[in-house]
Amino acid sequence: MKLLLLEDDEATRSHIERTLTAAGHVVDVCSTGPDAVFLASSNEYSVIVLDRMVPGFDGLTALRQLRAQGVSTPAILLTGMDGIRDRVEGLEGGADDYLVKPFAATELVARVAALARRPPTVDAITTLRVADLELDLLKRTVSRAGRRIELQAQEMKLLEYLMRHKGEVVTRTMMLENVWSFHFDPQTNLIESHMSRLRAKVDRGYGTDLIHTVRGSGYRIEAPAG
Amino acid sequence: MKKPNSFNSAAFRFALLIAGMFGLGSILLLTIVEYSLRAYAAEATAVGLQAETAVLTEDWPDGGKQEVIDTIRQRQRSAYEQPFHYLLRDAGGKTLAGDLPPAAARAGWGHVTFVDDTPQPGEPGDPEMLQTLGTRLADGTLLIVGTDTFDVQKVRDRLAAFTIGSSAALTLLALIGGYFIGLMFLRRLERVNGAVARIMSGDMSERLPAIGMSPELDHLSTNLNAMLDRIAALMDGLRQVSTDIAHDLRTPLTRLQQRLEAMRGSDTVDAYEVGIELALGQINEIHVIFRALLRIGMIEGGERHQPLTPIDLSELVSRVAEAYRPVAEDTGKSLQPAIAEGITVIGDAELLAQLLTNLIDNAIVHTPEGTTITVALDMESGCAVVTVADDGPGVPSDQHSKIVRRFYRLDQSRHTPGAGLGLALVASIAGLHGVKLLIEDNKPGLRVTLRFPSAINILGGAYDTAEEFPAGET
Repeated sequence: MKLLLLEDDEATRSHIERTLTAAGHVVDVCSTGPDAVFLASSNEYSVIVLDRMVPGFDGLTALRQLRAQGVSTPAILLTGMDGIRDRVEGLEGGADDYLVKPFAATELVARVAALARRPPTVDAITTLRVADLELDLLKRTVSRAGRRIELQAQEMKLLEYLMRHKGEVVTRTMMLENVWSFHFDPQTNLIESHMSRLRAKVDRGYGTDLIHTVRGSGYRIEAPAG
Repeated sequence: MKKPNSFNSAAFRFALLIAGMFGLGSILLLTIVEYSLRAYAAEATAVGLQAETAVLTEDWPDGGKQEVIDTIRQRQRSAYEQPFHYLLRDAGGKTLAGDLPPAAARAGWGHVTFVDDTPQPGEPGDPEMLQTLGTRLADGTLLIVGTDTFDVQKVRDRLAAFTIGSSAALTLLALIGGYFIGLMFLRRLERVNGAVARIMSGDMSERLPAIGMSPELDHLSTNLNAMLDRIAALMDGLRQVSTDIAHDLRTPLTRLQQRLEAMRGSDTVDAYEVGIELALGQINEIHVIFRALLRIGMIEGGERHQPLTPIDLSELVSRVAEAYRPVAEDTGKSLQPAIAEGITVIGDAELLAQLLTNLIDNAIVHTPEGTTITVALDMESGCAVVTVADDGPGVPSDQHSKIVRRFYRLDQSRHTPGAGLGLALVASIAGLHGVKLLIEDNKPGLRVTLRFPSAINILGGAYDTAEEFPAGET
């Protein structure tokens, strides 16, 4: 995928660029707001990654301009500010995701992937499928190999989130934000507890595991290869 | 700094102002008095003349001319000074009696200048202006009665002299008083300024002396001292926190350093990977501390935050409790929610969620297996009340007020993960919401109660504002 990265700090820029390139993306980099606006409006990118705090013409201003020009490329804002208001401002300014520095490289890679493949017409889908696992979004039922699986409301939301991002890495933070609307890290292994229950219900006794742990990053739901 | 002197002190300026006002007031008063006197005097004179004329002509013409002449003469001869002067002329213009000059002889109101030398013959008196009233009697006789006009001018002059004199005296007194009061003020303020200078040069234990003179000035210095107390407390807190941060970061930083040093000698890729993983874990621990500190700082610093809006507290508490139920079970504890539905409060959903997760996190982390944790939400006399309680070992009651401090950790929890910031964050979020935070003995265990200032129970339909956001008790 072709990505655009706006970041003024040299060290951070090359680090992020390396990370994204290693994940198989082609990355255009720039260090000023006007450059980002120019590049993003004259090229087709899958995702734009913008540092919010760029001296003068910052990432949020650049994003607002792009949105005003009708450029709807998914965008992630990177920021050192963790105020709730800052995040809301970023999202209102047209960002699709918001990542607080410092972040793990894998976190950014996962979020870029999640954004790029976001299906454009989510609402048209009524059933999510991964191999023989089915989630009926209207009836709120889950079945595997034709057998009904009883899930609690939270487990259902968690599974839905994973299935909407099938084949992609979903990080703990992404789950906390999207399933529980928690924008902070609990001390305890909240995600692990829920995932072990979900796996017990979805995978145990079916021979093939669909949910996989991605070490150091998070989880992925995927149909077995072949 | 230019040293102030008493002549431009506030007190002296006040005195000057008051003296000026007094002078202006005197002039005004004088004018009014003169005007009133003039009117009164004219009236009094006229009434007197009319009355005297009436008395003299009372018996006319029966008593005859002679009686009037006698009366006039008698009055002139009287030992007492007479207020009136007379002139009686017959129709032919011949003077029958009286001492008024002929110029006064005309009917109706008039004025005449008269020199009275009767009281002390040989020594001519001052010429007087007399007011006269002439009455033509039935047989053509003309009776003139005259009296000196009430001497308004003289009264005014005296009054003016008095007023100017007393004004000058008062002004002088005011200025002298002002000068000395100014001196006194300056001396007192100098003491205050001295104290301020010592505080500015770093002596935060110095306090301002009472200014004295008046309760409001003492009130001012008391308030300034209270402000200084608050600033000193904040600075102490800051110093304490800085020390704590440094101390608390040393542990993960040391571990990180050791980890990296140990890795240097590694000879397998696996060892490197494990080492890096652990090092990243240490770094994450440091980030967690920083993030919590930043959050607390932002909330307590009153930085702009999302406006507080009505939020469904029942949903929020259930969501957090449900999220933690599996965690509790996995660690051998049980989490019992008892959440009333339909309770709405004014707040920030994200911060309140963090507050609750911190409380429940704590209850899970600091209790042994088999503990029951209750998360309850209910209405109590119009207030939403959230309780997170456990039946674990609890916290000694003398530590209850300390555990909300930043970096405060009980001895027995030194070795559990965390930086001692969870409850500090809870306290600052509670403070922002005006929520009363109560830490109590659950007998056994610990109970944390959050009492919201008000709540709307949608199901009950009752709208109740018990208190308007009191200062958060933290």
